Amino acid sequence: MRKIAIAGWLLFATVTPASAHKLIEPGPVIGIAKGSFSATATSTWNRLQQKEGKFQEIWTIDGDHLNRVIFLGGVPDGEPLLTERDKKRDPLPKFAAQMLLPDIPVLFERTYRSYYGTPVVEVGAMEPVTFAGEQGIRFEYGYTDTQDEVERRGEAFAVVRNKQLFMIAFEAPKLYYFERDVGSFHALARSVKLAR
Amino acid sequence: MRKALALAAGLLALAQPCLAEEGYSLPAYTAAYEPRTVDERGLWMDADDYEKLWAGSPTRINDKELNDYVRRVLCQTVGRDRCASVRIYILDIPAFNASMTANGAMSVWSGLLLRVRSEAELGAVLGHEFAHFELRHSLKGFQNRRTTSDVMAWIEVLGSIAQRDVRDAQLSLIGSAYRFDRQQEKDADLLGLRYLGASSYPSRAASEVWQHLMEEADATAAGRKIRRQQRYQAGFFDTHPTELSRADYLLAEAMKIGDTGDAGAKSHYAAIAGQLPRFLASQTKLNDFAGTEYILSGIAATTGWTGELLQARADMFATRANPRDLITATTLYLNAIDAGYRRPETLRGLGLSLIKSGQREEGARYLSEYLEAVPGAPDAKLISFYLPQPTGNPK
Amino acid sequence: MDKVCRVFALFLFACCATAASAQEKTGIKQGFELKPGTARILLLEPSVRVGAQSTGGLFEPNADWTAQSKQNIERELVAIQGRLGNAIDRHELDATDSSADLRRYHALFGAVADSVIEYQFFPGNRLPSKKKDKRLFEWSVGPGLRALPALDGYDYILVIRTKDAFGSTGRKLLQFAAAMGGIGVQSGEHVGMAGLIDVRSGDLVWLNADLKMGGDVRTAEGANKRVRQLLEGFPGRGAE
Repeated sequence: MRKIAIAGWLLFATVTPASAHKLIEPGPVIGIAKGSFSATATSTWNRLQQKEGKFQEIWTIDGDHLNRVIFLGGVPDGEPLLTERDKKRDPLPKFAAQMLLPDIPVLFERTYRSYYGTPVVEVGAMEPVTFAGEQGIRFEYGYTDTQDEVERRGEAFAVVRNKQLFMIAFEAPKLYYFERDVGSFHALARSVKLAR
Repeated sequence: MRKALALAAGLLALAQPCLAEEGYSLPAYTAAYEPRTVDERGLWMDADDYEKLWAGSPTRINDKELNDYVRRVLCQTVGRDRCASVRIYILDIPAFNASMTANGAMSVWSGLLLRVRSEAELGAVLGHEFAHFELRHSLKGFQNRRTTSDVMAWIEVLGSIAQRDVRDAQLSLIGSAYRFDRQQEKDADLLGLRYLGASSYPSRAASEVWQHLMEEADATAAGRKIRRQQRYQAGFFDTHPTELSRADYLLAEAMKIGDTGDAGAKSHYAAIAGQLPRFLASQTKLNDFAGTEYILSGIAATTGWTGELLQARADMFATRANPRDLITATTLYLNAIDAGYRRPETLRGLGLSLIKSGQREEGARYLSEYLEAVPGAPDAKLISFYLPQPTGNPK
Repeated sequence: MDKVCRVFALFLFACCATAASAQEKTGIKQGFELKPGTARILLLEPSVRVGAQSTGGLFEPNADWTAQSKQNIERELVAIQGRLGNAIDRHELDATDSSADLRRYHALFGAVADSVIEYQFFPGNRLPSKKKDKRLFEWSVGPGLRALPALDGYDYILVIRTKDAFGSTGRKLLQFAAAMGGIGVQSGEHVGMAGLIDVRSGDLVWLNADLKMGGDVRTAEGANKRVRQLLEGFPGRGAE
C-alpha cells in the first residue's frame, strides 16, 4: 500500500499543470485496460490516472466517489483481481482458469470483502448474458464502503476467455447516482469488444 | 511471571479462606449505579449512543433462542443479581469480540459464538467483560488516556487476536468503545475467574479460550507461511496481556480454585445450531483457509463431522481451487449428503464441482435438483445454463 | 490508491506547485445568493471522526478522541449558531428510521464534497470534462432529499463533516515532502467540510472544504478554531 502511495506522490510531483486524467469523448475508444478492450462511448467520460491493480482501468463522470466504471482486462490464472495490500497477512483470493461463471461473483465478493474491509458485500441477481460477443455473466451487488460510509450499488459483466478473466463493472452510491448514470454504463457495456 | 504470582497472591488474600469446590464467594453487588462526575456522565452519554447503534445495526441478530441462550450463560456465570439489568446485543460479525459499555449494554459478535467450544468458555469471555463493568474500568481508563499521547487502536489488538483486520468504521468504533490498559485487563481476567469459580462452570475454561485463539492464529500464520510470534511479555503497543501469558496465569489460577464441572460443550453447539450455517458461511468468506479449518476441527471435536461442517469444509476447498482441491471438495459434498445434509447449497456445490471435474451429466443432475429446491434463487438462470439445453450443449 | 491517501497526496502536490492560482477552498453554485434573515436552515448533527492512520493507509477510528472532539465541536456550533444570519435549527441523528435516511444523505454529501475537493478544487487534478467552464459548480445529492419529512419547512440543510487522522504515516509523508524541497507539512490529515444544500433540488449551493484544517479538535481551542474556519464566509452571514 505504501509503495502505491509513494508512486502516486511522485506522479503528482512530476506532473505538469495539465490534468493527468484523460478525457474520453463520445466515439470509439481502443486500448482500454492495457489493450484488453475496445468500446464506444455514447457520453463523456474521464479516464482516471490511478488504479487499484495492474489489470484495471477506471472511468468516471463526476469522480470515482460518485460514479465509476471499472475495467478488468485479462486477469490470468492464479492472480488476484487487485493488487494485494500485504501478500502474506492480507492475501486476496485468486482467479483460477477452471472457474465457471457462477464462481465469478463469489470471487468478486471475497475480493471486495478483503480489499475494502467491508464485512458485508451482497451479491444479488445474476444471469447468463452475451458480453463482448462471448457467453458471460451479469450480476448485481451492493456494499457499504467503510471509509466513507456510503452505500453503493454495482452491476458487473464478466467473461472467461483463453483462461483469463475479463470484467466491466459500474458502481455508484445507491442514493441518486446509480440510477442516474447506469444507463450510460449499459450503453458502454453493450459496445465492449475484446481485443483480438 | 513474578508479577502474575504477586497478583495471584494478592487475589488469594482478598478471597474467602475456603477454597472448596464451591469456589469463591463474591462481594455483595450493588446495582443501580448512577453516574456522578462530569466524566462519568460523559461516558454514560456515549454508552447510550453506542447502545443505540448496536440496537439499530443491520448486523444485529434478533433470534430469540440465541439471545436467550447467551443471557442464560451470562446469568449462570455472574449470577442473577448481576445479570438482571444487562442488555445483550448479538452482532453478525465474523470475528472474536465482546464488549460492555459503562451503562450495562453488552455486545457479542458471532465470530465469538463460533469459536468458543462450550458454555463455560462463553461464560469466561462474558464474565471478563462484565468484570470491566463491575470494576468501573471504563471510567478510570477514560481519565488516564486523555493525557496519553501514544494510543494504539483497539482495532489492531482485535486484529492480532482474530488474525483479521476488522475495518468497518462504525462497528470498530463500537468495538473500541472501552479499551483498557494492561492492568485493567488482568484485573478483569482475575475477577472473571472468580465468577467462574463461584459458578457451576469449570474455571479452567478461561485459559482454554486463549489457548484455542493462539492455536487458530498459529494455523492462520502457518497457512500463510508467516511465523507467528508468541510474545510472553506484552509489547510496547499492547494494551492486553499477550495471549500466552494470559493462558498461563488463567490456568494457574484455575488450578488453585480446583473446581470441576460440566463445561456444557454439547449444549453450546445445540444452542447455536440454528445459526451455525450462517456463522460458517461468513467465516469461510474471510479467505482464511487454515484458520477456518482449525475452527471446523474444533467444532467437530465435540459434534463430530456433521453435515454443516462438511459443507463448510467443502466450500473452502471449492473456492480455493488448488489442483487437487476439486476432488476433495466433491468428496466432502458427497460426505455431507451421506450424513443426511442435502441443502440447496450442497447440491449446488456438488453439481458445479462435478461439472468442473468433467462429469457433466452427474453434475447436471444435482444442479437440476438444486433448481427444483430453490426455483427463485438469484443464480437460477445462471445455473440452468449448465443443464442440457434442448437446442444444444452448454459451454 | 486509497481514496483518503489520494486526497492527501493532492494536498502535497498543491503545496509543491508554484502555480499562481491559490488553492480553492470554497465553491458556490452559479448565481446563488442568500440574504440574511430570509431562509430557514436545518443544521444536521455533524459527523466527527478522529483516529489514527494505519501503516496500510487506512483510517483507524479512536473512540476516545472522537468522543472528546465531537463534544468540543458541538459546543462551538451551539455558540456560533446565532451568528449565521438566518434561523438555524439543530437536528439530532439518532438510530430511528427517519434518521437513517438523513445519515445516508450526510454520507453522500461527504462523498460529493470529497469529489469536489479532489476533482474540482485542485487545478492539477481537475477532471478534463469539468474544465471547460471554471465558474460551473454543479454538484448534487439529488431531488430525493425533499421527500424526507424531517426537512419539511426548511429551505436548506447545513452539513458539517470533519475527519482527523493522526499517525506515523503522516510522519513518513512529512519526510518525503521534506526530501522534495523543504516544505513544511503538517503530519497526519485534518480534513473538514461545511456545505449548504438546497432542500428542493438537492443541489450543493455552497461548500467550504479544507484539507489542511487548523486546530487540534481534541482540545477546546482547537475546536473553536476549526468551527470558525469551517463557517468562514457562510452565505447570508450579516456583518458581525
